[in-house]
Amino acid sequence: MSPNDLSLPAPRRDLRLPFGAALAVAACLAPLFLGNYALHAIIIALIFLLPAHGLNLLVGYTGLLSLAQAAFFGIGAYTSGLMAVRFGTPFYLNFLAAGLLAAAIALPLGIPALRLRATSFVMCTLGFVIIGQAIAKNWISLTRGDMGLSGIPKPYFALGPASFTISGTTSFYYLVLVIAVMATLAAYLIVRSAAGRNMVAIRENETLAESVGIPTWRYKLVVFMISAAFAGLGGSVYAHYLTVVSPLTFQMYYSTTMLIIVLGGGAGTISGVVFGSLLFVGLSEALRVAPEVRMIAYGFCLLALVFWFPKGFAPLIDRFWSFLRERK
Amino acid sequence: MTGLPILEISGLHKSYGAVRAVDDVSLHVNRGEICGLIGPNGSGKSTFFDCATGLSKPNAGAVKLDGQDITGWSLNRIAREGRMLRSFQKTVVFSALDVEENLVIAGQMFTFPDLWSTFGIGAMARARVEALRERAREFIKIAGLWDVRHQPAGKLSGGQQKLIQFASMLMPEPKLILLDEPMAGINPKLIERVVESIRFANEKFGVSFLVIEHNIDVVTDICERIVVLDQGRKLAEGTPDEIVRNPAVREAYLGG
Repeated sequence: MSPNDLSLPAPRRDLRLPFGAALAVAACLAPLFLGNYALHAIIIALIFLLPAHGLNLLVGYTGLLSLAQAAFFGIGAYTSGLMAVRFGTPFYLNFLAAGLLAAAIALPLGIPALRLRATSFVMCTLGFVIIGQAIAKNWISLTRGDMGLSGIPKPYFALGPASFTISGTTSFYYLVLVIAVMATLAAYLIVRSAAGRNMVAIRENETLAESVGIPTWRYKLVVFMISAAFAGLGGSVYAHYLTVVSPLTFQMYYSTTMLIIVLGGGAGTISGVVFGSLLFVGLSEALRVAPEVRMIAYGFCLLALVFWFPKGFAPLIDRFWSFLRERK
Repeated sequence: MTGLPILEISGLHKSYGAVRAVDDVSLHVNRGEICGLIGPNGSGKSTFFDCATGLSKPNAGAVKLDGQDITGWSLNRIAREGRMLRSFQKTVVFSALDVEENLVIAGQMFTFPDLWSTFGIGAMARARVEALRERAREFIKIAGLWDVRHQPAGKLSGGQQKLIQFASMLMPEPKLILLDEPMAGINPKLIERVVESIRFANEKFGVSFLVIEHNIDVVTDICERIVVLDQGRKLAEGTPDEIVRNPAVREAYLGG
């Protein structure tokens, strides 16, 4: 900005672009170096990235703590699974329907829930997961109850006369990678928009946000729906990857995993959530080497995290980023 | 002063249980006027403000802004559609955001036509935000906050936060601003700055003001007309001279 900048001897090389390119190349070549199991872990991490992005818009940007993500994840999984099994519709239709239906169901749930104060809202969202599971268990004519839906086909595309199916782990990895990149871009565009700024204003001080004309309640409802759509899309991919869906898709464990990804990675940052999903899902998978102590070790890792990195990894990522920009 | 008053409040009531916080208060602010609202602590000034601006619902009474009935409108709608802005007694800013972002946010809902358009990512949306940023920078310069414009607002002094809050309210080209104790807790030098800012906005942009203030010197200095509340009722109304000489007002302040 100041004229002094012009007289600097030589501009430091900005390494962000090369780093990003290297990351992209690594992501594209990963199947060549990784075994099937590691690839599987990354696929799961990238699937969980979708509901995590949605949750981040809600918790990290708008300041609303929700445990409902597993409910919308389950709704998306069942929508996609049922459409594929009953009607044999192609993947992209199931995928879009899952996102749309999750958002549509979030509307009537959000209208009463968002009128509640912070802690009551959290309890209410917890209720959505439990109700979702009960419906999946008991509406047997639709969901086949505890038996679940099996035989959900692998993603199948039909474009005009051509059709193809994504069957192997490697090709599924590329499909999920494309979806995850697009979801990340969508989340980024939302938070960089004027609406994203308004969301942060609501998180920082709701009354002040109201006083500058921001319709806070309507924003919260819209963001709740967007966040549900992200979860529904993730659920759809999950159903087509595992090829089975059961009432256990609606479980609190998934909601807490998504919350750990967001809070541990860095709520209110996009890169933190991407990092968090790879780290926490990866960590959970890596600990399978010691099955007896796996969950205990996972718990201790989380304790260590809140002690040493109370704001998640976002500050570290920030520092790394500025290091790339201007090396000293 | 011809034409309708910019703000006309009639018969406002607000009770909390058996306590009548505001009891049948009527008040108007003329176009382009700086009107003062004074009264001892607990006289219902802030409750009156909250009811007038939609933060809480009055039990009875009507609020008319620029000829339009806005009774029952929410705080955000009154700000957005009525362009009547308010400050809070305890200074508030978006602490984690820098000064420039604070001002941009304060202008956004007045530049974008509706909620959906704020999700826009096209050239139009970017141009709108850029225009706001330009305007924000102008106000930041005028307020003398240029050097700290990229610092989180929460890190700045109470006085600087007051200036941010004031500048934020000017972002949307307001018709009327309601200030709740703008001089509370700031040093005398800054009081002058705030008084200047009020006069500047009033003269340059034609903004009308309704000001709650305890500092009687400031009120009598800047206001053309003063309304006095006591125990939820309107006690007196008149020019600063009349108010200062009014024995009932003296008693309310000294005898209470």
